[in-house]
Amino acid sequence: MSILALEEADVFYGKAQALQRASIAVGQGEIVSLIGRNGAGKSTTLKAAIGLAPLRAGRRVLGGQDVTGLKPSQLARRGIAFVPEDRRIFANLSVHENLVLAQVMDRRGPWTMDRVWRLFPVLKDRGAQPGNTLSGGEQQMLAIARGLLTNPAVLLLDEPTEGLAPLVVEQLTEAMRTINAEGMAILLVEQNLRVPMKLAHRQYVIDHGAMLWSGTTADLLADRARVEALISI
Amino acid sequence: MSILIIGLSLSFLLFLLAAGLTLIFGMLGVINFAHGALYMLGAYICYQVVTMTGSFWIGLLVAPLVVALLGALMEMTALRRVYDRDHIYQLLLTFGFILVIDELTKVIWGLDYKQVPTPALFAQPVELFGSMIPSYRLFVIGFGAAVSLALFLLLDRSKWGIVIRAASADADMAQALGIDVSRVRTAVFALGAGLAAIGGAVTAPLVPIELGMGFSIIIDCFIVVIIGGLGNIRGAILASLLIGMARAAGYTYATEWVELITFALLIGTLMFRPAGLFSVKGRTA
Ligand SMILES: Nc1ncnc2c1ncn2[C@@H]1O[C@H](COP(=O)(O)OP(=O)(O)OP(=O)(O)O)[C@@H](O)[C@H]1O
Ligand SMILES: [Mg+2]
Repeated sequence: MSILALEEADVFYGKAQALQRASIAVGQGEIVSLIGRNGAGKSTTLKAAIGLAPLRAGRRVLGGQDVTGLKPSQLARRGIAFVPEDRRIFANLSVHENLVLAQVMDRRGPWTMDRVWRLFPVLKDRGAQPGNTLSGGEQQMLAIARGLLTNPAVLLLDEPTEGLAPLVVEQLTEAMRTINAEGMAILLVEQNLRVPMKLAHRQYVIDHGAMLWSGTTADLLADRARVEALISI
Repeated sequence: MSILIIGLSLSFLLFLLAAGLTLIFGMLGVINFAHGALYMLGAYICYQVVTMTGSFWIGLLVAPLVVALLGALMEMTALRRVYDRDHIYQLLLTFGFILVIDELTKVIWGLDYKQVPTPALFAQPVELFGSMIPSYRLFVIGFGAAVSLALFLLLDRSKWGIVIRAASADADMAQALGIDVSRVRTAVFALGAGLAAIGGAVTAPLVPIELGMGFSIIIDCFIVVIIGGLGNIRGAILASLLIGMARAAGYTYATEWVELITFALLIGTLMFRPAGLFSVKGRTA
């Protein structure tokens, strides 16, 4: 049974349709990647999952329960964590306060302040400085740590490695592996196959708001030429 | 000496109101024209409680609570329906609140001035550096400073403050972290209303309580908020001190220049530092 699923979801921005009967599911302990080119609808899929983009049709299912009508804050409280593309670090909060904010709703679980500090020590060292004064890679770590501190059932990561130096990408890839090894389900959005091929168990390809391909990473290897055509510019 | 005392007490009074205005603007994006009416209501309710119980202190406690509750009601029933609309609707709505509150005040308390006697504890003037100072003014300063400090601690040091600052800066992201932003909005409006009522109640023994009292102070508060930088509460305290002291000095030395000086400060700010005299980049609330 999947932890989180969108079923036949339609999302519109005004009159423009951004998701067309899109279905995607993340299972217990899985890393699922969602890949596609610019404007394909990847971020929209994640926003539909956390409720920031309303579903016009279709369903959202969390832990076997229909949660289509719930607000983002309710979905977060029930275990969906969203780490957006632009990170959305609160500039008027310190690094530490950004993390404390995630603990306000008080979802208990394995992820504590100490644990995220151990995963990303820089967040402890830089705790007192304003959140937006961190480097791009550090802000990404903060955004992931903030998501983890809500002790979610599933973590939605939108292009976490975009625009970062190879060494930082390496570090974040390792962190995702660690987080998943602790049992966390992850839905990972990327524009290319670089990180997904290393981490994902299953993959989806989206274009023009529709899911065009899905399969295991082994399937993808076999069908690589077709998938690369779907995501290339 | 008395300039300093009057100036400081006026400054803290202005700050209590300006802080609420600026918090509400930061969180709701609404400029609350009815803030002066809530201040006035605080004074009237204080008067009512004093008449009924004989105790100013009960009045000072009850008035902010009642007005905060009323503020929560205003936000839940009316304001929240217009956040998505053009600003003009919000302005019209808060302007409408003034008319309703004024009419209700007329119906309940009539048109004549009301008075609240100075609490017995502070009825006697005290001698300070050779001049006689009304001790109630000293109380207003101490009380205003204490409330301001409490407000800063709430915003800067508490979990509540983190939530308010986060929800003001990025409501969507705050919601994605489980914060019920619509409840935060209600709470912030109630807090702002309560602060205005604290201002009204603490002023009650100093001035005649009348229908126009909200209007005269709200203009000064808008000036404070603009000089301090809209949404910037640190700026608001400095701007309150500036305007409060300038007014007190003006009344003593150059009564006919007071309004002119105040507006000159305002216009100067708008011309040279439109984001506020004390604005710091990237720092709000
Ligand atoms: N807030 C919005 N208002 C209107 N249209 C939007 C909005 N957000 C996204 N879109 C449109 O919806 C479509 C899907 O956008 P989305 O952000 O989901 O793409 P994406 O796959 O995440 O792209 P990228 O790789 O560039 O991040 C695009 O055509 C985009 O222009
Ligand atoms: Mg995107």
